[in-house]
Amino acid sequence: MKRMWLGLVTVFVLLATACGGGGGGGGESTSGGPSGGPVEIVFWHGNTDLALTQMNKLVKEWNAANPNMQVKPVYYGSSDRALTKVETAVASGVYPDIAYLYGSWAANIATSPALLTLNDFIENDPTFNWDDFWPAERFAATVNGKIIGVPALVDNLAIVYNPALFDQANLPYPSPDWTWDDFRAAAKALTDPATKQFGWAYPADASEDTVWHWEAMLWEAGGDILNADNTEAVFNSPQGVQALTVLQDMATVDHSIYIDTTNSKIQDVFNAGKIGMLVTGPWDLPGFKNVDYGVQIMPSFPGGDHETISGPDNWVLFNNGPDRAKAAFEFIKWYTDPEQDIQNALYTATLPIRQSELDVAGYQTFLDKYPGIQTFVENEQNALKARPVTPKYPMVSEALGQAIVSVLLGKADAQTALDQAAQAANAALAAP
Amino acid sequence: MTKPIALEPPAVVRATAPHRRRWLPFDRWHLFLFPFALVMLFPMLWMLVTSIETISEARRFPPVMIPEGIHWQNYPNALKRGAFGTYFLNTFFVTMTVVVGNLVFCSLAGYAFARVKFFGREVVFMLMLATLMIPYQVTIIPEFLIVKWLGTHISPQIGIDSLGALIVPGIVQVFGIFLLRQFFRTLPVELEEAARIDGASRLGVLFKIVLPLSLPALATLAALTFLWTWNDFLWPLIAIMSPEHYTIQLGLMNFQTAHTTSWTLLMAANVMSMIPLLIVFLAAQKYFIQSVATSGLKG
Amino acid sequence: MEATGRRRAPLWLRAVHSDHVAGWTLAGPAIFMMALFSIYPVIWSVILSFQRKNLLSGESQWIGWENYEALTKDPIFKTALWNSAKYTALFVPLSIIAGIFVAVAVNRKLRLMAFYRLAVFVTLAISTISTAIMFLWLTEPTYGIINAFLHALHLPEQQFLADTNEALYVIVAMTVWGWLGFVVIIYLAALQGIPQELIEAAQIDGASRWGIFRNVTLPLLGPATFFLVVWLTINALQLFDEIYLTTKGGPLYSTTVIVYYMFVQAFQNFAAGYGAAMAYVLFALILVISIIEFVVGKRLVHYSA
Repeated sequence: MKRMWLGLVTVFVLLATACGGGGGGGGESTSGGPSGGPVEIVFWHGNTDLALTQMNKLVKEWNAANPNMQVKPVYYGSSDRALTKVETAVASGVYPDIAYLYGSWAANIATSPALLTLNDFIENDPTFNWDDFWPAERFAATVNGKIIGVPALVDNLAIVYNPALFDQANLPYPSPDWTWDDFRAAAKALTDPATKQFGWAYPADASEDTVWHWEAMLWEAGGDILNADNTEAVFNSPQGVQALTVLQDMATVDHSIYIDTTNSKIQDVFNAGKIGMLVTGPWDLPGFKNVDYGVQIMPSFPGGDHETISGPDNWVLFNNGPDRAKAAFEFIKWYTDPEQDIQNALYTATLPIRQSELDVAGYQTFLDKYPGIQTFVENEQNALKARPVTPKYPMVSEALGQAIVSVLLGKADAQTALDQAAQAANAALAAP
Repeated sequence: MTKPIALEPPAVVRATAPHRRRWLPFDRWHLFLFPFALVMLFPMLWMLVTSIETISEARRFPPVMIPEGIHWQNYPNALKRGAFGTYFLNTFFVTMTVVVGNLVFCSLAGYAFARVKFFGREVVFMLMLATLMIPYQVTIIPEFLIVKWLGTHISPQIGIDSLGALIVPGIVQVFGIFLLRQFFRTLPVELEEAARIDGASRLGVLFKIVLPLSLPALATLAALTFLWTWNDFLWPLIAIMSPEHYTIQLGLMNFQTAHTTSWTLLMAANVMSMIPLLIVFLAAQKYFIQSVATSGLKG
Repeated sequence: MEATGRRRAPLWLRAVHSDHVAGWTLAGPAIFMMALFSIYPVIWSVILSFQRKNLLSGESQWIGWENYEALTKDPIFKTALWNSAKYTALFVPLSIIAGIFVAVAVNRKLRLMAFYRLAVFVTLAISTISTAIMFLWLTEPTYGIINAFLHALHLPEQQFLADTNEALYVIVAMTVWGWLGFVVIIYLAALQGIPQELIEAAQIDGASRWGIFRNVTLPLLGPATFFLVVWLTINALQLFDEIYLTTKGGPLYSTTVIVYYMFVQAFQNFAAGYGAAMAYVLFALILVISIIEFVVGKRLVHYSA
């Protein structure tokens, strides 16, 4: 009896392992023969849906033209799941060749021994044209002089408004020389509790989304986040207070903001025609199928400018030996070339990552497909500053996020909240 | 125990107390159960409705509950977005193996912990339970490292990027051991003792007496293990590197980007993914009938 | 195998047939697999908790007990502990009570019973994401249905997940709802094991339905209840997904529970060591509570007749 069951169990386990799928040769360190042999590049991306179909098309094109450098795309999740996968890679020594890394991770990956720094590759390639990338992208991809990745995506924030609601309220549309007072007045006029309509909406989940919306306002007022060597918080300056007070007044006095503490409804509510203005990026445009919208650059404060904030992400290359490194660089160079990238942008509704893309044939198609996106492209020139590239930034962001939410919910006033946040941020910056 | 059991039950035994006037044409529990069931089914209904809407209907809010037409194309369109046939086979193979493995290993272990007094039993049980007390976010990277080691030192079929990696870590789970331990203990121990006196081995008792009486518990274990393995997302994401080995949950990611979601296709794919789960449950719930056979003793 | 009354088998044979060998052989494979997949992760993560480590850059530094000391001074960690305790103290009893009630309700030979049971099971099969989205819509302060109802009944509208005082309770409701299927399925299986004769005998003796339930059914559900209390406590103290999908620990930390805070530290602030230390404090907490539950359980729970 016992023997029979033991036997069955053994057979079973053997069957299970024998049938355990094909392949799986233990991770990424397959292929890549001696110099000159065919090489397989593993390409971790977060593309899904139409963007995925488009990417696969390009990968197929490349693979057909480059039998010696075959690219294998692997979906790796998004945001923190992707981070888990990348951290697992770093911890286990089983890395891909290229991975899409969010801009906020740049400061941390910079010191990883697995990273392939690109300075040499770029300098030795006269056709790469590093300066063709937007300044904000180059800033986000450079840590202490090391170029840690090739820009993968760029966007910025601008006003996206609902013209129909403006017409209904007999208001002129947002103009390029609006100030925040104009914005506030318009939002107030567009708010109607009876119809549950709001003038503005703000993501209030205390995440980076909450923070970077406000950081744009901080810069428009002429303020800064941290000091020059990223050791001290300076956002609780008079400019910071001015920027946060606008939020405070709009939220607690005018009640003209739809405050979304779960950051999940804003697009849907705008799409239903209940919000007059959003401050958001080009990625949202394809989702607004049920409303017409207009796009305008950010407002400013008296004495400030119409700066915006940009959020670039990077393709980061890992070191799996010189052959794969070279092949990976060649591929990513081709992939981010204007001809290819404009095709991707067509499906992802993100901005062209190279300035020369504006002259490429597909650019007009891109503009036609996403009405209003041209304003975003031009707005990239207003991305003059960038968020500090330091491993401590997430702590600074957390402190700011809580401060902004507490002001929006009417639990604190702008100066106190910012001072408290500055205290927390400084403590984090000082810690090892 | 409690009151003595009558040897001769009266001729008529009713499940309900006698002499109850019936005000309604149906059992009054329906008054509670029917609306309750509707509330419970609400998200499923919402998923179904979304899966047959057009995209612009789905983006509308307040959410539309009665769509204008039935947009069946979402289903074949969803299937086209990924190699769902492969994903289904992968998921099915992994899930079935894990379920069978758990049924076998948890029965053996559960019985040992329930009835066999062996050295260190309580401590080992507590240790096993303790492994559940550490959040998975902490253990997922070292688990990957173990699987990598297994792949290079034992067999690539259970290493990284293999279906074996999805099977082996979950092939025996503490949930099953704990659940069966509890259930086995509720069975009358006299039955087992009688069998042992008659010369049966431990395994014999387990298979001939204990397991047949534990069908509801086994069905529960099978159904829940099936469900959890089928719906597991994070571990397959970390352990799998090639699209040929994706499971359905990974395939569902095809419908979500960081900022938008193809709701209609995602719901269609979700509905299709849930069908095997519902089938498994309907099969399992057949075991949830009062089995008179469980009462085998008098006095 | 020995036959009673004959000569006794030799010592070695008796040893092989002893309970200890039998027990370890039966439980051996399971124990081995568990050990294989947990010993190393425990060692790895305990070491991590004594380090300052960035899993992305790979930098690490041994700092001994510093992470644990920092936890004692961390006000947000204290908030997280308190929130986790509040949550668990509500979630576990509510789930058990609701579960018993529904399980008894669906343990009957009524028409449509398969439909009712299916309805309960469906909540289990649906992904947490779908449940979260549904609750987000229902409880949306401005446009959600629940507030619409309250408004129609002339009751004050609530902010739910946007209110620092209410958010955690909404999460309790959401998770009790989400776990109901699990609790019911366990109780259903347990109810099958209750011999009909006991119920019938009690009825014959004239006991009321409530009396039968209290004196016959409930005690016999003891083992299942014990299982559920332990299982639900372990899971409740590790609440994460629902928070991640809805409130992200807010507003203003009112729904920050231990595992969520651990996640923020490890995956957003890149302080994996600090996160690991938190995990082990949580582990100690869960272990202590579970041991207490076992000790109490030993005294209160009857097993077989």
